[in-house]
Amino acid sequence: MMTIFGAMAQLVPVVLEVGHFGVELFYAIWPLLAIGTIMMAFGFTSYPTFLPFGGTIVLVAMMIFVMEIFLTIKKVKKFNLVISSILIANIFLLFGIIFGLVMALGYAGMVDVDINALLKGHVFLVVIGYIVVIIMGLSVVLLPMFGLSHGFSKKPLEIAIFLVSISVIMVVLSSLSASALLAYGGYILASAGLLIYFYFIYTIHKTRARKEIDIYAKSLLFAYFSLIASLSLALIYFAVGYEPLLLASAWMMFFGFFAFVITGHIYKIIPFLVWFERFSPLVGKQKVPMLADMLPARSSSAQLLFCALGVVVVATAILLQDGLVLKAGASFLLMGALALLRSVFYMINYK
Amino acid sequence: MYTKEELFLAISTVIDPEVGFNLVEMGLIYDASCDEDGNAYVKMTLSTKACPMHQLIQQWVKEAVQKMAGIKSVEIDLVWEPEWNITMADEHVKKALSR
Repeated sequence: MMTIFGAMAQLVPVVLEVGHFGVELFYAIWPLLAIGTIMMAFGFTSYPTFLPFGGTIVLVAMMIFVMEIFLTIKKVKKFNLVISSILIANIFLLFGIIFGLVMALGYAGMVDVDINALLKGHVFLVVIGYIVVIIMGLSVVLLPMFGLSHGFSKKPLEIAIFLVSISVIMVVLSSLSASALLAYGGYILASAGLLIYFYFIYTIHKTRARKEIDIYAKSLLFAYFSLIASLSLALIYFAVGYEPLLLASAWMMFFGFFAFVITGHIYKIIPFLVWFERFSPLVGKQKVPMLADMLPARSSSAQLLFCALGVVVVATAILLQDGLVLKAGASFLLMGALALLRSVFYMINYK
Repeated sequence: MYTKEELFLAISTVIDPEVGFNLVEMGLIYDASCDEDGNAYVKMTLSTKACPMHQLIQQWVKEAVQKMAGIKSVEIDLVWEPEWNITMADEHVKKALSR
């Protein structure tokens, strides 16, 4: 979530074409989010007393973030698909935060609520309503920009965002009313929306002028195939009811789709930020590197390979319910994480 | 004072660090002219409206033209019509990008 918020601090002015309402607020958001997350991790693992305090700090950080984004959107004069998607996503995040707050009060025994029922709405609001809708909205700007794609229709994306948004509302209502019909209707609409989104990404891929399959393109290819794998596993789960299928689907969504979309963009955003800060003042005065020169070829390839293997092996372990295979997958992921760390240091320290 | 070709030659020193080609061979410079008093005009576009180097690239173009002897002012006209696409780029750029 910290990476997503960090990326939003950078991307929101780019895609909205207006400056932040208060970019300084991010200096409060990140430390609060970091402290709250660490406290919550300790709370979940060994010190439950930390949980409400950590949760409150995370909620405060998220609330500041949401308000900052709303006030930034208020400065926009003309709305388009991207701005609408950011607005919709942040409204879902706001409700996700409210659901989280009510759940925290429920845990503390201050209000009497069905925490398990609210959990479904909370997870759907934050994961599908916020993260997925944000990725969908930003992809229409970022993917054509990096791939130099032109001449594709945005209609499939409009339909996909509409379907996914309706699905979130249906699942949230189902969590409040305990209606299985609404819940399953929501799941079907979300799946349909994501499949249409996948088709939209395919049209961007087909119309791109830049055919080079660099580390960014490879990461995104794995991410979108993980999305399809996640949807397929979820659909099979609804057909056969074998619970590990649902867990494997969630794993592929988080660590296959979200994680690879994020790491792929790290290889574009970090070199750009470093280049902008360090080399752009030297343009015209001396030879400056290209952004592609700032990428560490070996460690980025190692990161992609180990992480992709780790994701697939862990998904297999979840399906087989095999602890040994799980450890093998976790080892691949650890190697991948170390390679990513090395890549990030290389890009930040590029001189 | 300067022909369109001379101005294009000066602007061709500006390279897009993302793709590694200059703005002229990318087809991003639509027109350029300069009157007898040294007032230059450049009509250009960018590959995307969301380009984060929006202002920086315009500044580089301005500086590249200002370096020419006798130039008094440079007006940059950033347009979005016609929308840029890869067919506007030089053949060798298209070939290199499609590899």
